Amino acid sequence: MTALPDFADDIIAQLEACGAPATDVAILQPADPFLDMAGEDLRRRIFLTESETGSALCLRPEFTIPVCLDHIARRAATPRRYGYLGEVFRQRREGGAEFFQAGIEDLGEADIAAADARSVADAHALLTRLLPGKALAVTIGDQSVFEAVLAALGLPRGWQKRLARAFGSPGALEAALSDLANPTRAAALDEPAASLLLAGEPEPLAAHIAERMEAAGHSLGAGRSPQEIAKRLIEKSELRSVRLSDEALAALKDFLDIRAPLGEAHAVLEAFASEAKLSLGSALTKFGARADAIAAHGLAGAFEYDAAFGRPLDYYTGLVFEIGLPGDTRPLAGGGRYDRLLTLLGAKAPIPGVGFSAWIDRIAEARP
Amino acid sequence: MSVTLALPSKGRLKEQALKHMAEAGLSVDLPEDDRRYRATLADWPEIELVFLSASEIASELGQGNIDLGVTGEDLLRETIGDFDARIEIAARLGFGRADVVVAVPDMWLDVDTMADLDDVAADFRHRHGRRLRIATKYWRLTQQFFSQLHGIQVYRIVESLGATEGAPAAGSADVIVDITTTGSTLRANHLKVLEDGVILRSEACLAASRKERDDADKKAIAELGAALRR
Repeated sequence: MTALPDFADDIIAQLEACGAPATDVAILQPADPFLDMAGEDLRRRIFLTESETGSALCLRPEFTIPVCLDHIARRAATPRRYGYLGEVFRQRREGGAEFFQAGIEDLGEADIAAADARSVADAHALLTRLLPGKALAVTIGDQSVFEAVLAALGLPRGWQKRLARAFGSPGALEAALSDLANPTRAAALDEPAASLLLAGEPEPLAAHIAERMEAAGHSLGAGRSPQEIAKRLIEKSELRSVRLSDEALAALKDFLDIRAPLGEAHAVLEAFASEAKLSLGSALTKFGARADAIAAHGLAGAFEYDAAFGRPLDYYTGLVFEIGLPGDTRPLAGGGRYDRLLTLLGAKAPIPGVGFSAWIDRIAEARP
Repeated sequence: MSVTLALPSKGRLKEQALKHMAEAGLSVDLPEDDRRYRATLADWPEIELVFLSASEIASELGQGNIDLGVTGEDLLRETIGDFDARIEIAARLGFGRADVVVAVPDMWLDVDTMADLDDVAADFRHRHGRRLRIATKYWRLTQQFFSQLHGIQVYRIVESLGATEGAPAAGSADVIVDITTTGSTLRANHLKVLEDGVILRSEACLAASRKERDDADKKAIAELGAALRR
C-alpha cells in the first residue's frame, strides 16, 4: 500500500479540527535514536541502510521519535502539538511492511491531566470519525500507579526498578516476582573480595576492583566504574537476606488483577490502598484528576482501567492507552505519556510529552 | 534427481569433516586439482559434492540452493532467520564443538547471571549517557537471547569481526557474545561466562534444507544422516 487511503482527507481534516495540523516528517531518518530508545530488537524489523559516509539510516519505523527530534532541532516553543499522516516501514508478523499511521504528539504541555485527556479524546475522535457507528473499547493503564504501589510496599529500590521494568510484560513480571520470592544463591567470591564484601565498606572494595582493572589493562572510565560495581555488589548481598513477604506479594497480585470502568477506577484504587494499608500519594490524586478530565470530554464508549496494562519501554512514564473494537485484541490506536523521551533524545531541559498513533490499515479493514 | 552435499572448503573443519566421513565408511574422491571445488562420493552416485566456506554453506542451505551441508550449528542459527522452518538437522557430528556465550569482565564481581546484567543494562544510560554495548559477530543469536528470551531491550550491539574478546579491555564494548571451546581465551582476557549465559552449545552438523523432494532423494538424505550420526 503506497497510495494514501481514500479517507485521507477525513484524517487531515480531523487533525486540523483537533488543532494539530499535519506536519512534514522526513522518511529517511538516522537509525541510532530508534535503536537507542526501543532497543536492538527493533533492528530485525526496521529497514536499515547506510549513508556514503557510513552512518546508519533507516526508513522511519514510527513518527514519535522523528517528531521529537525535529522539535528539539528547531528549538520550537512549547507547548506545541504536531499532527502527522504518512507511511511507516516496519516488518510485521502479519500485514505489509509499509503502512500508514496518523497521530498527534503533544509536547511541553504543563497541565498533565488535561494533556493526557486530550490525547485520549483526540484519538477517540479520529476513530469515531473514520468508523462512524462502531463501538470502541478503550483500555487505560498507568505506569506511575504501579510504581507508587511498589514504593508503598516498601520494597528495596533495586527490586522496585526490576519490577517497574517488567511492567506490561506478564511473562517478565512473573519471572521477576518468582526470583524475588526465591532469590538465587550468589556465586562464591575469591579473596580478598569476599572479606571486603563481608566488611561492607564500599571504598576498600572499590579500591580492590580498581586494582584488578588496572592489572587486567582495562581502560578505567570507559564503562562501569569500580565504585559502581562495589556499590551494587554490597546492595545485592544485602538484598539476598530480604524476602518478598507473602502479604506484599499478595497485595501486588491483587493490584495487578484490578480491572474497572474508568469512572469507578479511582474509588477501586482507593479501596485497594486502604485494604492493603498502602499510601499511594500523589500518583492516585493525579490518576483521579486525569480520569475526571477524560470524563469531562463526554466520550461515549467502554473505558476500562487495567492495572497490569503497560509498555515495557523505559521512556514511558505515566498514561498508556489503546483503543480497539470490542473483542478484537489488535489495537486501532495506541498512545501514552513519554516524559523521559525528549531528554533522552538530547533536549536541554525536560519537555513532557504525550501522544498517540492510529493504524490506518487496520482502520481501513474495519470500515464498512 | 540428485542431492547436493556441501563440505567445508578449508581449515580444520574440512579435515574433520573428511575424517568423519572416512570413519563412517564414506570415501570422498577428491579432485586431483586442489583448486577445483567439486567431488564425488564413492558408492553414492546420487550425491554431488561441492566445497564451500562454512558460512556460505549456512546461507546456501538457508536459501535452499543446496540440499545438505556440513557446518557449525552456530553459523546455521546465526545466518538463517526462520531456522526451524527452513532447516532440519539430519545428524550431529560430534566435532567442531564450541559454545556461544555471554561473557563479562571478571572484575564485575556483582554480575553472575543474566538478571544481574539486566539490572546493569537498565541503569546504564542513566549512569554513563549511553546504552550498554555488546561486541559480537552473532547479531541474531544475541538479539534472540537478550531480547526474546530474557526481555532485555536496552543494549546496543557493536559489530566485531575479530578479536572480540579484546573489546571490553579496549573500552569499545562492555560485554561480549562470542564462541569459546576451553574458555582459556576468555580467561586470558579477564572475562567470565555468566552462569546462565550459554546461548548455544554448538557442534558440526549435517543439515538439510527443508523442501519438496522425490522419494529417492529423501531416502539418500536419511541414509547419509544415519551413516554420519554420532
